Amino acid sequence: MAFEYEKYLRMDKIPHLWCPGCGIGIVLKAMLRSVENVGWDKNDISFVSGIGCTSRAPGYIDCNTLHTTHGRALSFATGVKLAKPDKNLVVFSGDGDATAIGGNHFIHACRRNIDMTLVVVNNNVYGMTGGQHSPTTPIGYKTNTTIYGNIDPTFDICLLAKAAGASYVARATVNKGRVLEKYITKGFQNKGFSVIVATANCHTQFGRKNKMSDPISSRKWIESREIPLEKARTMKAAELKDKVITGEFTTDEAETTFWENYNSPVHEYTEAYAKIIEKVQEK
Amino acid sequence: MSDKINIPEHYERWDADVKVGKNDDKVAIGYWRDGCKGCGICVDLCPKKIWELIEAKDKWNGQVVRMTDASKCIKCMLCEIHCPDFCLKIY
Repeated sequence: MAFEYEKYLRMDKIPHLWCPGCGIGIVLKAMLRSVENVGWDKNDISFVSGIGCTSRAPGYIDCNTLHTTHGRALSFATGVKLAKPDKNLVVFSGDGDATAIGGNHFIHACRRNIDMTLVVVNNNVYGMTGGQHSPTTPIGYKTNTTIYGNIDPTFDICLLAKAAGASYVARATVNKGRVLEKYITKGFQNKGFSVIVATANCHTQFGRKNKMSDPISSRKWIESREIPLEKARTMKAAELKDKVITGEFTTDEAETTFWENYNSPVHEYTEAYAKIIEKVQEK
Repeated sequence: MSDKINIPEHYERWDADVKVGKNDDKVAIGYWRDGCKGCGICVDLCPKKIWELIEAKDKWNGQVVRMTDASKCIKCMLCEIHCPDFCLKIY
C-alpha cells in the first residue's frame, strides 16, 4: 500500500533540487513514514537543518521547520527543545554539517542526551559546496580537494556518538529503505538523544571522481561495503578495512552490559532542566 | 480495496490483475512523469524488470522510465520505497 507523502510535503516545492538518484530523497521518505508510524501531529514536530544538501529537506516538509547556520543545527534545536519541551525535535544533517563544521555541537548534544533525533546523511563528501573531502571520506578515494587520493583517517559517526553518550545509535544504508524506517522510528520513540546514520550515495561530487558517476554504480559500491554488525563480529580486522558496519549499536547486549555501568546516559536533559527550574522557583 | 486508491489525476496510471505469492490480487501503479528525473533506481531494483528507461528530450538527464508490463508486478514496493523523487505510487 503506497504511503501518502503529500500529507507531509509542501507539494508546490516538489520536484526537489537534489540530483537524480540522490539518497537524501530516500532518507526523507523513510523519515516521513516514521513520523506516521509514531503518530506525531504535524504541529508538534519541528524539523531543523544546517547547511548542505540535506539542509533543503525541511523546506519540503509541511510542518514547523528551521533552516539554520552551518553545523549549528543541533544548537538551535537544543534551544527550541528547552523552550518548548513538549515538541518533537528532528535534526536533519549531513556528514560535513554534523561531524566537521558542527563536530563540537554534535558530541556535546550526545553528551547532554537531550530528547531529539539526529538523522545524519553520510555521503562521504561535501556535496553542495563543491565536492571537498569530509571527515568521512574513505582513505584512498579522490575528491576535489584530495585529487591524488585522501590520506585522512575517517570518523565512524556511530562509534563517536555512542562514546559521547547518545542513547540510541543505528546505521543503515539508503539501499534498504525499510530498515532505515525501522531505525528512525525507534529513534523517534527513544527518550533521549538518538543518532541514525544513513549511508548515502553522492555520485555527482564523490562518484564522479571515483569512476561511479551514475546512481546505480554508486549504490552498488555502498552495497559492496555494507557488513551487518552480527557478521562483523566474526570477521578479522583486515577484512573490515573500508567497510561500513550497519545495525543498532546501542541495543547490542553483549557490549552494553559491560559499558552501561560505566558510561550510560545519566538523565534526559529537558527533564533535568525542568527540575532545576522547579527547584529555583521554590526558593 | 478500490476505494483506498488515491492516485492523483496528473499521474500516469496502469491497472492490472497480478499474482502476489499464490493469491490473486489487483495492482494500480501511478507514475508522475514531471517529477521523474530518470535516475533509473526503480529499473535497477525491480525483481521482475518491468520498468525500462526510455529517451526523453525534455529532461536534462535525457531519460525517463516507462512501465512495460504491469501484470508482472509482485507488489514488493521496492521501487516505491526507493524512488527519491516521490513520483511512484503502488496500490
